[in-house]
Amino acid sequence: MSTSLADHLRSLPDESLAALLQLRPDLVVPVPADMAALAIRAQSRVSVSRALDGLDQFTLQIMDAARLTRDPADGTTSVDGVLALATIGPNPPAPTAVRAAVDRLRARFLLYGPDSALHLVGGIDEISPYPAGLGRPATELDPRTAALCADPAKLRRTLLAAPPSARAILDRLAAGPPVGSVPPGALQAPAVGADDDLPPDDTNGGAATGSPVRWLVDHRLLVRVSGGKGGTTGMVELPREIGLLLRRETGPLGPLRSSPPEVAATPREPKAADSAGAGQTMEVVRHTEALLEQLAAEPAPVLRSGGLGVRDLRRLARATGSDESTAALLLEVAYAAGLTGEMELPGTAGRYGADQQVLPTAGYEMWRAGSLAQRWEQLARAWLTMTRQVGLVGQRDDRDRPITVLSAEAERAGAPAARRAVLGVLAELEPASAPSVEEVLALLDWQAPRRSRGRENTHREVLAEAATLGVTGLGALTSYGRLLLLAEATASEHGATDDPLGLLAEAEDGGSAVRALDTLLPAPVDHFLVQADLTVVVPGPPEPALAAELEVVAEPESAGGASVHRITTSSVRRALDAGYSADDLHDLFRRRSRTPVPQGLTYLVDDAARKHGGLRIGSAGAYLRSDDEALLAEVLADRRVEALALRRLAPTVLVTPYQGGRLLSVLREAGYAPVAEDATGATVLTRPKTRRAPARVSVASRALDPLATPRLPLPRLLGVVEQMRRGDAVARAARRAPAVVRGTTPDGPTPAHGHHEALAVLQQAVRDRALVWVGYVDAHGATASRLVRPVSLGAGYLRAEDERTEMLHTFALHRITAAVLEK
Amino acid sequence: MSGGPLIVQSDKTLLLEIDHPDAQACRMAIAPFAELERSPEHVHTYRLTPLGLWNARAAGHDAEGVVDALIKYSRYPVPHALLVDVAETMDRYGRLQLANDPAHGLVLRALDRVVLVEVAKSRKLAGMLGNKIDDDTIQVHPSERGRLKQALLKLGWPAEDLAGYVDGEAHPIELAEAGKDGGKPWTLRSYQREAVEAFWAGGSGVVVLPCGAGKTLVGAAAMAEAKATTLILVTNTVAGRQWKRELIARTSLTEEEIGEYSGERKEIRPVTIATYQVLTSRRGGAFTHLDLFGARDWGLVVYDEVHLLPAPIFRFTADLQARRRLGLTATLVREDGREGDVFSLIGPKRYDAPWKDIESQGWIAPAECVEVRVTLTDAERMAYATAEAEERYRMAATARTKLPVVRALLDRHPDEQTLVIGAYIDQLHQLGEYLDAPIVQGSTTNKERERLFDAFRTGEIRTLVISKVGNFSIDLPEAAVAIQVSGTFGSRQEEAQRLGRVLRPKADGRQAHFYTVVSRDTIDTEYAAHRQRFLAEQGYAYTIVDADDVLGPPLPTVD
Repeated sequence: MSTSLADHLRSLPDESLAALLQLRPDLVVPVPADMAALAIRAQSRVSVSRALDGLDQFTLQIMDAARLTRDPADGTTSVDGVLALATIGPNPPAPTAVRAAVDRLRARFLLYGPDSALHLVGGIDEISPYPAGLGRPATELDPRTAALCADPAKLRRTLLAAPPSARAILDRLAAGPPVGSVPPGALQAPAVGADDDLPPDDTNGGAATGSPVRWLVDHRLLVRVSGGKGGTTGMVELPREIGLLLRRETGPLGPLRSSPPEVAATPREPKAADSAGAGQTMEVVRHTEALLEQLAAEPAPVLRSGGLGVRDLRRLARATGSDESTAALLLEVAYAAGLTGEMELPGTAGRYGADQQVLPTAGYEMWRAGSLAQRWEQLARAWLTMTRQVGLVGQRDDRDRPITVLSAEAERAGAPAARRAVLGVLAELEPASAPSVEEVLALLDWQAPRRSRGRENTHREVLAEAATLGVTGLGALTSYGRLLLLAEATASEHGATDDPLGLLAEAEDGGSAVRALDTLLPAPVDHFLVQADLTVVVPGPPEPALAAELEVVAEPESAGGASVHRITTSSVRRALDAGYSADDLHDLFRRRSRTPVPQGLTYLVDDAARKHGGLRIGSAGAYLRSDDEALLAEVLADRRVEALALRRLAPTVLVTPYQGGRLLSVLREAGYAPVAEDATGATVLTRPKTRRAPARVSVASRALDPLATPRLPLPRLLGVVEQMRRGDAVARAARRAPAVVRGTTPDGPTPAHGHHEALAVLQQAVRDRALVWVGYVDAHGATASRLVRPVSLGAGYLRAEDERTEMLHTFALHRITAAVLEK
Repeated sequence: MSGGPLIVQSDKTLLLEIDHPDAQACRMAIAPFAELERSPEHVHTYRLTPLGLWNARAAGHDAEGVVDALIKYSRYPVPHALLVDVAETMDRYGRLQLANDPAHGLVLRALDRVVLVEVAKSRKLAGMLGNKIDDDTIQVHPSERGRLKQALLKLGWPAEDLAGYVDGEAHPIELAEAGKDGGKPWTLRSYQREAVEAFWAGGSGVVVLPCGAGKTLVGAAAMAEAKATTLILVTNTVAGRQWKRELIARTSLTEEEIGEYSGERKEIRPVTIATYQVLTSRRGGAFTHLDLFGARDWGLVVYDEVHLLPAPIFRFTADLQARRRLGLTATLVREDGREGDVFSLIGPKRYDAPWKDIESQGWIAPAECVEVRVTLTDAERMAYATAEAEERYRMAATARTKLPVVRALLDRHPDEQTLVIGAYIDQLHQLGEYLDAPIVQGSTTNKERERLFDAFRTGEIRTLVISKVGNFSIDLPEAAVAIQVSGTFGSRQEEAQRLGRVLRPKADGRQAHFYTVVSRDTIDTEYAAHRQRFLAEQGYAYTIVDADDVLGPPLPTVD
């Protein structure tokens, strides 16, 4: 068959081949050597599987129809056959729709050949063994079942006789997939007498049914097949014929839907959807900026395992007033957009590399300078293309560790495709129609069932994220969101072919979404309203200059569409500190305010300015004070002390930048009589200091003549005697130690053997509380021996009592070379 | 962009630009669900709170309407997330209902089974719920009705109380609008009428009206509506006597029908006025006067000054859920933040009118607020600078330098009834001596107090020096000028009360004046800043002048 596909491919014009390669781009990576290679690759399991992934539910069902109508002899089918099978059901699809589906399959070379002899691409049976969710024909499964299927009347009777529980199983298997696993033991005959506990079942001739699966197997409606991986658990399969019979109501292929499911959603007012989305974009940009400002003020450390800690995330979320999932999303997006980055903490380089922290990058400055719409567009594009699944943050990974923000665990290569798929669904609907989440999932399921199944959660997350980011509003795709998607799609197409440098995408595509959003967003305002309660309301996004001014003179109180600031004494003081004068502030309020400046504010500014700078701080090396003002005036005027750069702070105080010592000596030289004082004001007296060596003790204080023999009292002498006797005994005992213990015998047992024996001896000695000679190697490697009474043996140590010294010794067992019982 | 008057902030505050042509319409649209937080001259701030949204829901507004109002009047796009949040919050009210089941008595019924399962599992409700009747209904012990509502509010699933009320013992009460005992005929003001109607339609709840707007009459009208025995709870005896006087004058009730239940007298009559103090007094750890609540089959319980309701009264109120309850207050803001308890136990807010609006309708004299800053003498400054931290406020507030300023202010209004208010007894005595005016303080007997007030009312006494007792529920109808020399640490509540003193309706629409005398560069100024903020937020013109301007040339006029 593969040769025939190759032949078929060879006979095609170049355009058709190019069209095939466009539909199945994976065929040219790498470029096949010849047509045969292309044919082989086109029939490979991986490639076919990919081709099927992109197909909608209906086309896949038509593919199944083609498989079911295959001629068992030569494996071909025909368009007419497919058409006939597909239109059996109660709501048959239009033949044109079926033909269109067949054409789609042919374009991808999943079917090929003339209408009357369509070939199926090889490898398809490996990918899904059960076409249309139907089992194998009975003849392939079990001859007795085949016999039953061959007799339609009997088959129908048997089916009708099935008890309700068994019928439910049949219906489930008929809907597909046609195989089910059976709990262990369900197929075994019940123990004798167990049947008595079961309710009698009239359909089963009055006898109890027992397990419905067993009933079905016993009546040949289900066939046992070898189990999957376990092998021990039984699997049952519903033969194709019975499946088809059970599908009388729905048609052999199951319910067919040639067009995507309808969306019943109430269409929103396009303006309302745009407006809600635009409101959300403002929130997103503002929250992102707040998050990054927070990061700039206090960078978050990167965990050793990657990502930011849960506590840091919580802190950031709290500081910006958003919830944790939103904060996680914005952090991920900002990172993807290149607005934040890691930096090594200086001085922490160690064995595991330096500690890192996350903080805004230089790109953040550029971003901040952009308009609201531009900033949003950067974030949204980063979101569309980032390979991160933020919904995983906060969940636990395989090893039950929490997945953190920016960690590698949340990386998912399929994330951009999932976003494109979900938003694509929204984009294909009427503008501003807002399908429910379930409807979106149903649409996705129809569009590419093989891709969507099992990804429902991911798709839900995408919808939630799109709403958070303002790509959608009130559940509908916004007009600027649509433009963004369009720009993104064309950019990725162009990027590959016509515009390898990506210049065009930058220049024109980004713009339309930004422009569309710009018209929805409030224009920056350059004025505010001041009120008597000292709040300043900026009725819109402030101009950068206004924002900078307000940042200095007022405290932010509430943000959103407008911003509310409060002027307090401390904020005015801050402005004064920053170099504003009271007049500047009055002028600022008069110039910017659309409302008359309240008297209270004017008073506050004047009052704060009056007090501002009432205390002065400076630094000085030393001061010179005197109650005699005239004397100080004289010093100040004295040219001999000019070098001290004295300055008068008060009539009675002069200061100099130089140290006190210098001041003192210069003034003394000039003939004044200054005295130094310490920090408490006490006079510091200075006298010449005489040098001295450290103190020593006189010999006269020594009590005794060093040469005189000390006289000891009797008790001490007796003690000395006892000590000597004990030493003597030790010496004798050491001599008495057996040679093997002393380690002096050259022909003694090998150390290993000796060690082994020693342990046995010691164990015995512990039991008998007997005295033992222990030979051991001490910490310095010298051999020594000791006569001891072992107390215990365990944990690698011997604890033993030395009766002579009355001490408890601990010996490491591995150091003991020998042990001999004392005879 | 619609260019509307409303700006929705992400912290759920709403800024309403009142100079905008649509401002009035917008205010009407958002008033049901947003709480007015500040009303300075140009931009009013409203806040969306769960309580406010539930109040709106209780009054029959739905989330769709709220969202529509926000979108319609908003100048800028409203964030999607905020709209979702509003809808979800509103949706939580009424998922659970307290109802009377003919067979099982009081039951908690769920319109959403999942919610019932969730709350039934909560530990906070342990012991309050009885048997499960079916999947959607759980029996509730009648004595737990209040506590259950409290707990459900805390869980964020406020229940709608549809269980109804007992009628109580009937007692004929009529409003004497034709005038009584030769008095002049009068009528309820329109907003009072609306307040009573809103209350009666809702069953139980709170009416918010500023001081001087005639809350007592709202209470009287509610009684006339109920026509049943009534228990009135007031803050103190003086307020109680005032209620009594008002009720005798404005309704068909006679002196014999109204009892006073206080520290001095223990009368229980068809209409009984009790003080919070006597109800919360304990002997041996037990509340001794609780029997009052069960002494008669009360048909209506009126709570005066709900924002001051002491915590134990909440507990008693939890047991009174089958009786109609009317709360009266000038502000729902409680210093202890127990607004939620007021909501669940007394009832949702039924009527609210911003002060400024009532004023513009002409009921309350417009007040001019002036802060006079006094520069302390050097000796006083020195004493202040070296004083202990806890002594500082007293030192600053009671500076003798304030006395001549007060005298000068009095001289500016020679023909007006003037109150001089202070917190420190010594200072009050100084003032009394200096100004030659009588003093009302805590130790003044009720009899003497009433004598002085009567004399003040008749104009016999022109200047009265009062202490903190003046903060609560006394009626001084013709006080046109108030001078505050010291207060208690800039409390918002106190400020509202004090302003209320001088905001009583004037016969001839003269302007009221509210002066505070403050020592410059001291902690006194800081407290004054709080006061300024509060008054400005309430929309009053606020001016700061130097004492020298008061003592010297005439005051600058403020319009």
